[in-house]
Amino acid sequence: MQTELLTQGFLISLLAGAIRTSVPILFTALGDIFTQRAGILNLGLEGIMLMGALGGFVGTYFTDNLWVGVLIAILTGVLFSLIMAFLSVTVKANQVIAGTALTILGTGLSAYLYRSIFGVQKLPPQIEAFPALKIPILGDLPFWGPVFFNHNILVYLAFILVIVTHIVMEKTTFGLSVRAVGEHPRAADSRGINVPLVRYLCVMIGGAFAGLGGAFLSIGFMNTFLDQMVAGRGFIAVAVVIFARWNPYRALGAALLFGGANALQLRLQALGMPVPHQFLLALPYILTILVLLSVSKKAEFPAAYTVPYSRSER
Amino acid sequence: MLNRKTSLKNIMVSIAPPVISIGLAMLVGALLLLFTGQDPLEAFKTLFWGAFGSTNRIAETLVKATPLMIMALGTSIAFKSQLWNIGGDGQFTLGTVFAMLVALNFSALPAPILLPLSFLAAFLGGALWGGLAGVFRAKFNANEVITTLMLNYVAVYLLGWLVRGPMIDPNGHGFPQTPLIQESLKLPILLSGTRLHFGIIIAVFIIFAGYVFWRSTIGFRIKLMGEGHHVARYSGIKISKTIVLIMFISSGLAGVAGWTEVFGIHYRLLDDINSGYGMLAIVVALLGNLNPLGIGISSFFFAALIVGGSTMQRMVGVPFSLVSVIEGLVIIFVISRVVYTQWRDRHANRTFNPGFSHQSTGGGH
Repeated sequence: MQTELLTQGFLISLLAGAIRTSVPILFTALGDIFTQRAGILNLGLEGIMLMGALGGFVGTYFTDNLWVGVLIAILTGVLFSLIMAFLSVTVKANQVIAGTALTILGTGLSAYLYRSIFGVQKLPPQIEAFPALKIPILGDLPFWGPVFFNHNILVYLAFILVIVTHIVMEKTTFGLSVRAVGEHPRAADSRGINVPLVRYLCVMIGGAFAGLGGAFLSIGFMNTFLDQMVAGRGFIAVAVVIFARWNPYRALGAALLFGGANALQLRLQALGMPVPHQFLLALPYILTILVLLSVSKKAEFPAAYTVPYSRSER
Repeated sequence: MLNRKTSLKNIMVSIAPPVISIGLAMLVGALLLLFTGQDPLEAFKTLFWGAFGSTNRIAETLVKATPLMIMALGTSIAFKSQLWNIGGDGQFTLGTVFAMLVALNFSALPAPILLPLSFLAAFLGGALWGGLAGVFRAKFNANEVITTLMLNYVAVYLLGWLVRGPMIDPNGHGFPQTPLIQESLKLPILLSGTRLHFGIIIAVFIIFAGYVFWRSTIGFRIKLMGEGHHVARYSGIKISKTIVLIMFISSGLAGVAGWTEVFGIHYRLLDDINSGYGMLAIVVALLGNLNPLGIGISSFFFAALIVGGSTMQRMVGVPFSLVSVIEGLVIIFVISRVVYTQWRDRHANRTFNPGFSHQSTGGGH
């Protein structure tokens, strides 16, 4: 077994697998950087991802066009996250409760709609998922080719969005407004920044990314929709953002860490490791806890994190 | 006379908001049913009949209300102190595991000793699992929402391993389940021909104990924590110790809820022994406004919803997930109530009402 662990083939499939499985968490975490930076903790991401996964699947199934699926997933994510925006910004509700409500609602609604649309079938309906797209020249490199340059287009998109997120956050006035709103909403307000608007936008951006993350599961990774397919990735994405201290590059690293744990667990199972497979399955969740423990004490949250803003209150 | 009138008004004022929230959630549910081509009237009729249509069905509703009441009371203790324990599912699971370990390993002891012992073990199992998250919060400032949630997933896999490995029933033909507990440990059935067991009495007792708890010194300290850590600190309360204590009590009750399920219903551990009561307990606690009586009533309502919901799925083919949709909507309407109140106050006084802060989740203190 040890020799098998060390073969190049194993390492390639492990690393390529790590990249693939990190993508849904990465998408969701990138969007959540905006949301958290604006001072909002959205625990509804799990529910939003599920709705996105369903939206992407339904859109693709009925139009036979993967991009329509992606678009519908993003739209679903944005619309669904509006509930969170309304509750956290307008209602000024407790964000943990609002997020939990959204997750329960998303879990129920996606399962309900799926059953209503497709009924009870012996074989689950399937679509043709995004195919792998080998990048010319780079894809032919030994070792690095199959690891990095032989994925479907959404994987590349995720990596591009890491850079885009960084640029928007650090180099644009919008990014500056977002950070101002998260750190000191009153000061932002006095400079003419529309605090509620920025927060609504940031929650919606988070929703769009989470919808995309969900769609990656249904139409980029598998080719069907399952009720439990998100399996805590929405919550893990929140932890990833805290771990990454709101930096997209570090979020990429953290997402890869989770992807790696997941890919390793799958491959160790396949190799018949003498460890109960349940322990391996629990690995990503244990890792999330350990990661949180290691950073939480030092983490400097945006000053207005989870605190609603109201003009007339002091 | 006047007194009676005002107290009646008080009751109306406290009952109206949850009733309105439920009504609105059901209304949206009805629209959803219409949208997917179902007859809402027929569906809700089946739901109601499924929950209350016969003695057996009412008994079944009470059976489901039992763990909900206990667990939601536990949830309310954490929530009231602004600690967001949403790991009820995992704590419930560990409660069942600990109780079962005691029941199987000390089976030589007489039932009157073994039963309370397993009860304590269940409390301890849940309490340690949640207490862990409490320690993580107190010592490392790790967000308890995420740690308790992650511990839920870990508990699922732990149970999955136990019922397939070390605790598997040797005579079970390889089914993922433990052996049955001995006959003398099974909780007595209150109504023959139904599954209504002694657990409901324990649940009601715990609800009443909730009132005593909030009047105790610990209860008072916990309430102070809910007012904000500064307030608590100035009152000389050791914050981190209290956080661990709250998580310990709150999740111990989730473990006890697991105990009632094992000793009252299943008599063994199964892979899916926890049927998502944890998430539901959050809804129940919030709808019940975090107070014991409210929790008692709202757990009965949600128990009816799940019992009726499964009848609805069987009889008229409405997916059971509609129940989760209604659960989610109920919380959303419960917390959105504030907007309406603000709007009303603003129009009444022409001034903005600053009395509401993000910390209150629906009054209660």
